[in-house]
Amino acid sequence: MKPVIAFLALAALAGPQAVYGAIGCTLTNPAEDLKYLYPEMTTFKEELSELPRLQDGAAIFKGLKARLGSDLDPIYETYETPYTVYSVFKGPTKIGVVHGVNVPGKGGVIQVFLSLDPVRAEIKSFFFQRLESPAARQLRSKEFRAQFTGLTLGDFYKHDYYAAVEPGAKADKVAAVKPPPLLDAGGRPDYEASLRGIRKNLILLDFFVYGKRFEPYFDRARQSMEKAKARKE
Amino acid sequence: MPAFARLSIALLLFALFLMVGGFPIAAQTREDPFAGVAEAEKPQPAPRSWREQFFSDNFGFRKEIMSQFDTNEDGRGASRQSVGFEVLKKFSTATSTVASFDFQARLVRRDGFNPVLNDMEGASRQGWAFEYHNLYMDFYNILNPVLSNEERSKNVGRFNFRAGHFYVPFGLNLQTDTHGTVLQLSNDRNFGFERDWYTGFWGTLNRYLNYDAYYLAGSGYDLKYKGQSGLGALRISLANRYSSDYGWEGGVSLLGGERLSEAAKPIATRRIGMDGRYRRAVPTGLLIFTNELSGGRDTADTVFTQLHQLEYLHSSRRWGLATQYRRFAQDGLRADASIIGEACWYFRNDVGNSNLHWIKLNVERQLQRMQGPPSTVVTLQYYFYR
Repeated sequence: MKPVIAFLALAALAGPQAVYGAIGCTLTNPAEDLKYLYPEMTTFKEELSELPRLQDGAAIFKGLKARLGSDLDPIYETYETPYTVYSVFKGPTKIGVVHGVNVPGKGGVIQVFLSLDPVRAEIKSFFFQRLESPAARQLRSKEFRAQFTGLTLGDFYKHDYYAAVEPGAKADKVAAVKPPPLLDAGGRPDYEASLRGIRKNLILLDFFVYGKRFEPYFDRARQSMEKAKARKE
Repeated sequence: MPAFARLSIALLLFALFLMVGGFPIAAQTREDPFAGVAEAEKPQPAPRSWREQFFSDNFGFRKEIMSQFDTNEDGRGASRQSVGFEVLKKFSTATSTVASFDFQARLVRRDGFNPVLNDMEGASRQGWAFEYHNLYMDFYNILNPVLSNEERSKNVGRFNFRAGHFYVPFGLNLQTDTHGTVLQLSNDRNFGFERDWYTGFWGTLNRYLNYDAYYLAGSGYDLKYKGQSGLGALRISLANRYSSDYGWEGGVSLLGGERLSEAAKPIATRRIGMDGRYRRAVPTGLLIFTNELSGGRDTADTVFTQLHQLEYLHSSRRWGLATQYRRFAQDGLRADASIIGEACWYFRNDVGNSNLHWIKLNVERQLQRMQGPPSTVVTLQYYFYR
């Protein structure tokens, strides 16, 4: 009888209710990767974030889609996907924030990790943990990846406005990023997916770590685009 | 009004029009629309009780449902139904994650038995059974309390300690989640169990290599001593950078000592093994090649194990195909060998295995058997993990 009761109890647990993740979008070997990014580090801390467990998780998921400007993939980018944020310390001082996301590429998963300045929220470096792409070699090139150093989520939000209203504006830092020189037409979708991954990563970090710091830029970009559209009409 | 005066007024009005109307519009488009925008202030988090913190910060809980039906070529059917869960908790100080705990368990109902790859112990567990799978703790960077900041920096990730019940640290199983899959790696057949009770150290040796060094009880599912001395195991594996940059994983494993046989008798066991896995992107998806080779002795008998696997996963991650060849040979006992084909449809297939949902069809053709005639086993599996 006892096993039957236990079975029913576990079956009840398995019913529809809030679900929780055990494994995030993690670095396979965080110590190794973080040490490479921050040679001076002494310790690191992992923080798991799961949208279903956050009070405003549903709003964040909806907001992510709006800020990304594209639909989320039902297999690669689900509501239940957990995220792991790594905080890197030198002694008691936080010297970095590292976070990864998955985006669908042409050949499979593209796993985009960013390391950011903990105070200014600027990209320090970006790298791929998994890049299932025929254009992997080109996209992994140091020269291509170095172009993102110093960019913030604010720059991506500004880019939305400049690309739509003032193409070629000098203030548009994201438009200045150039694809790898040897990238052929077949690799273009994975280049676009990588940019999308960087933006998605920055949006989630803004929600999880930086207290929605760049929301005013998102709002202003949207308002300015609406104004420009109204003027045209 | 003289013509000159009319012209002057017209010019004045035109200039006024430019200033108030036309010209400012041109000026507006050049104006920085983000002037004066300031970054938002970070809100202060609301205070939480220790209980709220414990069950929300780095606490994961997942549920699992597995329904499996199989039959052999004689039409002998078997069923394995289970519900289970996994709990994962990480413990942190203000500046570091210091430990983690993982527990996986299932309540299983079995009726009938066929030797399906993911349930070799099912023969002895008919009816109801409560099973634990992973049950272990990791302690990270355990020397940190006695190291200076400079020494901590030099040794990040080098000295981690593990104790509990987990995958045998031999071959690729340590870095492969086979909890829900039908296809398995070779440890179960090689040692009689794929998980064991053990304790020891793991971490990074340098930028290129990782290590695992453990003492194992050698008793498999139950922690028990029936005269065996236990096993020592050492694995040296490629660092993560090879997987990230080139798609390669691999290592060399050594294991020696005494374990318990199925009949609970100590067996002197020696093994050395090599393994590798290579992921290669192809235009429509991903190919994964997996190989495990090992040789050694069980008491005086020479044993040799080989496993070769090829998987294809479509870029949508919605469906995949796999085939595996496996063989375990022992002096005087001939060999167990099989070739397996598998097709899978995924409803959910998270990259990090954090939420999974699939239906698999697995067909195993046994080519050689140590005991009894070779047969064909067909398995249909439904799996949900979220």
